[in-house]
Formats: sequence, C-alpha cells, structure tokens
Amino acid sequence: MGFFDIFKKNKAEKTDKTAKPAKKEAEEKKATPRDAAAPATSGLPAVDLGELLPGAPKNGKIKLAIYWAAACGGCDVSLLDTNERILTIGDMADIVMWPIAADGKEKDIAAMGDQEITVSIINGAVRNSENEHMVKLLRQKSLLVISYGSCACFGGTPALANLVDGKDDILDYVYTKTPTTANFQEQCGHKSAPIIPQNSYQAPEGELTLPLLYDTVKSLDQVIDVDYSIPGCPPQQESIAVLLKALVDFVYNGVALPPKGTMIGVTTKTLCEECPRHKENRRITKICEPHEVDVDPELCLMDQGILCLGPATVGGCGAKCTRVGQPCRGCYGPTEVVQEQGASMFTAVASLFPVLEEDPTCSEDEIIDIMSTVKDPLGYFYAFSMSKALIKRKVSEKGGQ
Amino acid sequence: MADFEPKIVAFCCNWCSYAGADGAGVARLQMPTNFRIIRTMCSARIDPEFVLRAFSKGADGVIILGCHPADCHYIGGNYRARRRIALLRMVLEQYGFDPKRLRLEWVSASEGEKFQKTMVEFIDTIKALGPTPMKEE
Ligand code: SF4
Ligand code: SF4
Ligand code: SF4
Ligand code: FES
Repeated sequence: MGFFDIFKKNKAEKTDKTAKPAKKEAEEKKATPRDAAAPATSGLPAVDLGELLPGAPKNGKIKLAIYWAAACGGCDVSLLDTNERILTIGDMADIVMWPIAADGKEKDIAAMGDQEITVSIINGAVRNSENEHMVKLLRQKSLLVISYGSCACFGGTPALANLVDGKDDILDYVYTKTPTTANFQEQCGHKSAPIIPQNSYQAPEGELTLPLLYDTVKSLDQVIDVDYSIPGCPPQQESIAVLLKALVDFVYNGVALPPKGTMIGVTTKTLCEECPRHKENRRITKICEPHEVDVDPELCLMDQGILCLGPATVGGCGAKCTRVGQPCRGCYGPTEVVQEQGASMFTAVASLFPVLEEDPTCSEDEIIDIMSTVKDPLGYFYAFSMSKALIKRKVSEKGGQ
Repeated sequence: MADFEPKIVAFCCNWCSYAGADGAGVARLQMPTNFRIIRTMCSARIDPEFVLRAFSKGADGVIILGCHPADCHYIGGNYRARRRIALLRMVLEQYGFDPKRLRLEWVSASEGEKFQKTMVEFIDTIKALGPTPMKEE
C-alpha cells in the first residue's frame, strides 16, 4: 500500500466523525449558480472558495510546508496574492516551514517523523545540492508533495541555463565577465586570480560551505516523486483557487483528492481555445515583436506576425497575456497529449509561412533564410520547458577527423 | 574512430522516396547498412518531435527524404516539411549539434540511384563528424 492510500484511508475514517462539514458543502453547492453567471475568463470552471474558513478543522490542523528551490520568489508571492484567504490558511494548517513568510528551519524538518507533514508545496527547479537535499527531505517527511509553478514542473527560466556549457561557464561569466564584477575584480587586484565562490572555505573559525551548483537544471519530478503539479509562472489565481478548494474540501469535508499525477488548474485544450482573439489563419512572411507594430486589439497575434505559444500551450490561465496584447510565452506548459512543447510549436510556426511561388524551384538555403526571421527558436519555444525537452541540455561536438 | 559505424535514421515518404529506396534494392545497388528506414505517408507527417526523439536516443544522423517540390502526393506536404526542418536545423545548431547531422533530400520513385548516392554521401558526412555528442542520461 502506497503512502497515498494510507492517506486516503486515514481521512476516510476521520470523515465519519464529522457530520457538520457535509452541510457546509451542501450550502456551497447551492451557492454555485451565482458563479456560473459570472463571466468566465478562463476555460476552467470558476471555483467558489466560499466564505472564510470555518475555524480549525474538527480533526485538528494539517501540517503545511511551502518551500522554494531554484525560484525567483514569484511563486511564493502568488500564494500570498490569494488575498484574505491566505490569512485563514492558518486556521486550517500549521505552517511548519515557509522561508519567505514564516519560520521553520531545515533542522526542524529533519527532526520530524516520516510523512508527518500533510502537504508540501514546492516551487522552483532543482539546480544545486541544497535544493536537492531539501526537496528529498521534504519528500520523506510529507504525505503529499505538490510541484508548484513552471520552474518546479518543467524547469522554467532557470533551466535555460542548460543551454550553456555548464556551471563553470556560468560562474566564470557572472563573476569575471559581467561589467560590474569585471571592474571589481580588476580594481581590487584580483584580475589575475579572480574571486569565484568556493564550495568550501577554511576560515579561522572553521569550515564554511556553499551548496554545489549543478551543470543541468532539473524539474522537481526528475528528482523526487511528485503527487500533483500546478503549472504557471506563477500559477494564476484561477488555478490556485482549484488547488485551495481541493485542499479545503479534503480537510474539512473529507472529499477525495484528485488522482495522483493530476495537473491541477489546467484545461484539456490549448490556450487558443480560451483566448478571446479572433483567428483568421493568415499567412505571414515576417515575424515581429509586439513593440514593432500597432497591435490590433481583436485579431489573433499570430495573424499579426507575433510569435504566440498559444497553440502549443495548455489552457487554464484565462489567456492573461494575449488579452493585454502580449504573446503567450507558454508558461503553463504543453497539453496532456504532447510531450514536447517546443516541437509542437515548430509545426505551428512552420505552417504560418505561406508556400511561395518559387517554392518548387528554390533551395533549402533560401528556406532557411526565410525561417531565420524566427530569432532564437530554442530559447523562445522552450522558455519554460527546457528540463522537459527531449534534448535537455547543450551538447558539444568533439569534431571528427 | 576508424571503426565508427554511425546509426542513422532515415524517414522516407511512402509515395516517392520509399519507392526510390525499394528501387535501389531491386537494382541491387550497393550501400552501407548504417541506416534504418521509417516509412511515413508524407514528409509532412514527420513531426519535429520524431527527429528530436531520434537524436535524444542517440542517432548520429537523421535524414528525411520526400517527393520533389511540386510532386508531393498531398500537394504541399513537402513545403511544410522543409520549413519545419529549417527550424529544426536552427534549433539543433543552438543545442550545439553540427546541423549537417540533419539532412533533407528529395528522391522520386524512379531515383534508386539518387537514393543510393544520397545515403552513401550522408553516411560519409556523419562518419567524418564522428559519434553524436548526445550523452546517455
Ligand atoms: S515559476 Fe515563475 S514565478 Fe515561480 S519561481 Fe519560477 S520564475 Fe518565479
Ligand atoms: S495564437 Fe495566441 S493570440 Fe492567437 S488565438 Fe492562440 S493564444 Fe490567442
Ligand atoms: S498567456 Fe501563456 S504565458 Fe501568459 S500566463 Fe497564460 S500560459 Fe502563461
Ligand atoms: S507524399 Fe512524398 S513528400 Fe508528401
């Protein structure tokens, strides 16, 4: 029996003892028609989070950990952005760790029993030894692990670092080549032996250590077992509401959680399905940036020559970016039926370019010239999904004879 | 390196190139045996994901063979394919692969000899490039 089944069983027993929450659920159901009438901005059914939480759960609070690995902090802010709801999370859960907002140190977690934490929400990719240690520790101590945000789910922005030669390349660039650090190294007399962070340093008081940077950035599920994922950079409130509702329903009403492996807060269709822009399937001859053109407020951005990842991205965010005239950069990741978000985008983009009169006679080089108006296809089409690409990092040809 | 025998994946469209490959076989033209042919209905059926998957699994080279321009059985499939392949070559180059590891060529049903010549040439190119830089995970 897996830990997930243990979890379900425990909760099933507990539900029997609580008759009251069921009434609460019925009330919530009655309240839904009001939401159905509200304008739907995303392809997700609108989720009503109801009034504030009804105090502490009957069976006691759950334990919640929120952790950031290689992240920018935006994911944590998105959780804080849940407005008044965040204040009532404390009614439902004891927050045992949340580096951005609460106390709780590594040693506190290490002292806990296995699976003592009910839910760990982890954002960020895994790119150094500290990230790896912490996510493995949280996995061991938690019943459920939720992979939160595009960095955790697909590698996200940090994983673009897979496109340089490796960690030494990064350290060298950051600590000796960027103008500010180059100046510092020179002015402080370190030009010949630049100061670069070491993993270990023998100070008079004892050894000081820093986490070890890895060459390849990984998504969370490539390092530990993950129960649910919720994509987005950061996940949008529509998606977070689905996650919170599932947790609250489960804790207060004993409603079963979704099956393991579920992507939470996404639809089954592409973003284009929920994008309000009008598609004409025009053919374009040149790719342009939004700032180079007068963006038509109604017309599909691809029809205007702006590269939009909508056709290769799963819906759920409510087309946040395209509504305001910015192309989708694909932060919600691919749809369920596709593995490669980038590859599915190549197909969409290639079909945008019209067949030319000279096509029957022109050479492949001429076609390459036309397609070269797509700048940095690798960085653009895999902006959020590099860790999940079929080829996950840069390679280097040895050069044959 | 002298005994390096490359693994090559060759995608052939059903209507021209596969028949061309067949023609080469029937005519008993001599060819190295480094390639595995995968038949698709049209060169446009070759999803860029197929090519990336081949490279990710350690192919040393991938060659795509389709009907000549204006001859595609489905009218414009090869025009779509050549645009995708152009994008793929850019991407492979960004990854650090030599773009010569991916080739597109047009071979008609009657061009058994061209098929043989193309394959021999491509295998020589890959032999000169050496094994794929893709490492096993
Ligand atoms: S998914 Fe986006 S918001 Fe979240 S940590 Fe990564 S970069 Fe930041
Ligand atoms: S391509 Fe972009 S702008 Fe066009 S419909 Fe799809 S999501 Fe909207
Ligand atoms: S439109 Fe695209 S990039 Fe913007 S939030 Fe939605 S999925 Fe992310
Ligand atoms: S059928 Fe041969 S390329 Fe389309």
